[in-house]
Amino acid sequence: MRLDVVGKNILRVDALSKVTGKALYPEDIYMENMLYGKTLRSKVPHAYIRVDTSKAERIDGVIKIFTHKDVPKNEYGVVLKDHEVFCSQKVRRIGDPIAFVVAKDLKTCHLALENIRVEYEEIEGVFDPIEAMKDDAPKVHGDSNIIYHFKIRKGDIKEGFKNSHVIVENTYKTHMVDHAFLQPESGVSFIDEEGRITVIVATQYPHYDREEIASALNMPEESVRVINANVGGAFGGREDISLQIHLALATKELNRPVKTVYSREESFIAHAKRHPMIMKYKTGADRDGKLLALEAEIIGDSGAYASWAMNVLRKSGVHASGPYEIPNVKVDSIAVYTNNPFTGAMRGFGATQVPIAYEQQMDILAEKLGLDPISIRLKNMFRKGSVTATGQVLTESVPLQECLERVVERMDFPRREEAY
Amino acid sequence: MVKIDLLVNGKKHSLEVEEDMRLIDLLREKLGLTGVKEGCSEGECGACTVIMDGEVVNSCLVMAFQAHESNIITIEGLDGEGSLHPLQQAFIDAGAVQCGYCTPGMILSAKALLDKNPNPTEEEIREGISGNLCRCTGYNKIVEAINRAKGV
Ligand code: FES
Ligand code: FES
Repeated sequence: MRLDVVGKNILRVDALSKVTGKALYPEDIYMENMLYGKTLRSKVPHAYIRVDTSKAERIDGVIKIFTHKDVPKNEYGVVLKDHEVFCSQKVRRIGDPIAFVVAKDLKTCHLALENIRVEYEEIEGVFDPIEAMKDDAPKVHGDSNIIYHFKIRKGDIKEGFKNSHVIVENTYKTHMVDHAFLQPESGVSFIDEEGRITVIVATQYPHYDREEIASALNMPEESVRVINANVGGAFGGREDISLQIHLALATKELNRPVKTVYSREESFIAHAKRHPMIMKYKTGADRDGKLLALEAEIIGDSGAYASWAMNVLRKSGVHASGPYEIPNVKVDSIAVYTNNPFTGAMRGFGATQVPIAYEQQMDILAEKLGLDPISIRLKNMFRKGSVTATGQVLTESVPLQECLERVVERMDFPRREEAY
Repeated sequence: MVKIDLLVNGKKHSLEVEEDMRLIDLLREKLGLTGVKEGCSEGECGACTVIMDGEVVNSCLVMAFQAHESNIITIEGLDGEGSLHPLQQAFIDAGAVQCGYCTPGMILSAKALLDKNPNPTEEEIREGISGNLCRCTGYNKIVEAINRAKGV
């Protein structure tokens, strides 16, 4: 087989335009007759709202202020349609979109935002996912805050723990993380030469965006076009809708190009974060360090919207036992709504958080058994033919042992036996 | 309105600007130099870096009127007739460009560094780009690119 790309250094096709400053990100596009749009966002995490735009509408240069009343189908979301394009009755997080001002320039947009009256009737919120799982917790959506519960049951953990020589039990917590891609969200919408509502945006999912815009605007997908410009970093943070529907709606109604650029602050409050997780782990091993049982409960804070919660928590669950073969496993991973910023995709998609727990457990087990951290891993790690916690038989290459051995060699990792 | 005269990428401009206009807005909105990027608007990220009278500045923190009688270089002013600046070529060759949003500012910081110190050590290179954030590359390839360009 002739390989043209694999193993070779290939120059990026877009590198030239980027080193010369010619690469266009959506905010670099200026169109004739273009208007500017700005989003009004919730200042409180949980409240019923009443919105009065009349004063702002009278400001010279304000073209229109969009609210939920203007959206044909006021919902979207990558898996569950639990977001509203504009909140109609209640806000569920700080940063929830309430209205979209379109004006002749940015200064007028800002002035209009200050003149929209939002009456917040605050309601009790819930910010701790463990509290949120309780029956009497305030509800973010519907009548339960539990979005998803993934289970793995393999073998018999009771038996496994009974036969264990050591058992280590700990709870680990990770925090929320923002992608902080360098280019804040931006987009320009216009009507193209074939009459299609067109949105130029920096996105990870142009095809999904099109579906969501068409659905919210109640239009056939063929009448909507999404053009992906250069994307200034994303890392998962551009998987959910941000300004796409707002822009498309404005252009459809006003028949003019509209541009929106988020500030860094707005970017932070607008898009998803990495799920903070609370991971309760109980791991048992025999005298030689062979793993016998794992019981894990992983609770992921999804914030006010589900986004990819099911997919992320499923991935955490599947990866909960790490790259180790364990005969008896019980895993529960649960995604929960709270009134925190919503969480979604971010590099690793749920696989990033769990190693904090399972690797720490390995180190503690090793210490209790008087083993070094390398040998305990070598004793338990996946090899060709291993069966994972979900029952998958690994039949293809599993070069983990080779990898670890090379790392140990290059790091000159002191074996415990030698170090002490 | 204030009247200002300035040199941008070797070209003279006389303009009327609003008192509250920032240099970045002047460059992007009035002169169409959209290679100047805005990542934070508060001097943290360096995406808006331009060279002003030989020094790197964050154009989001400089007011347009402060640029009166100054000499500004943006990324658009770096490549000559059909040829790239050695730094631009090195960024391409070393794989130092990913999303590209930090790239114009990075290259300008590197240029300002090499103009003053043609043979910087790795540490001096890292110091020279310490005001520019990159979220994609992990910096190593950027440092490598500047290292490659320094001899050229
Ligand atoms: S935009 Fe000027 S430093 Fe970030
Ligand atoms: S290449 Fe994306 S921020 Fe540097």
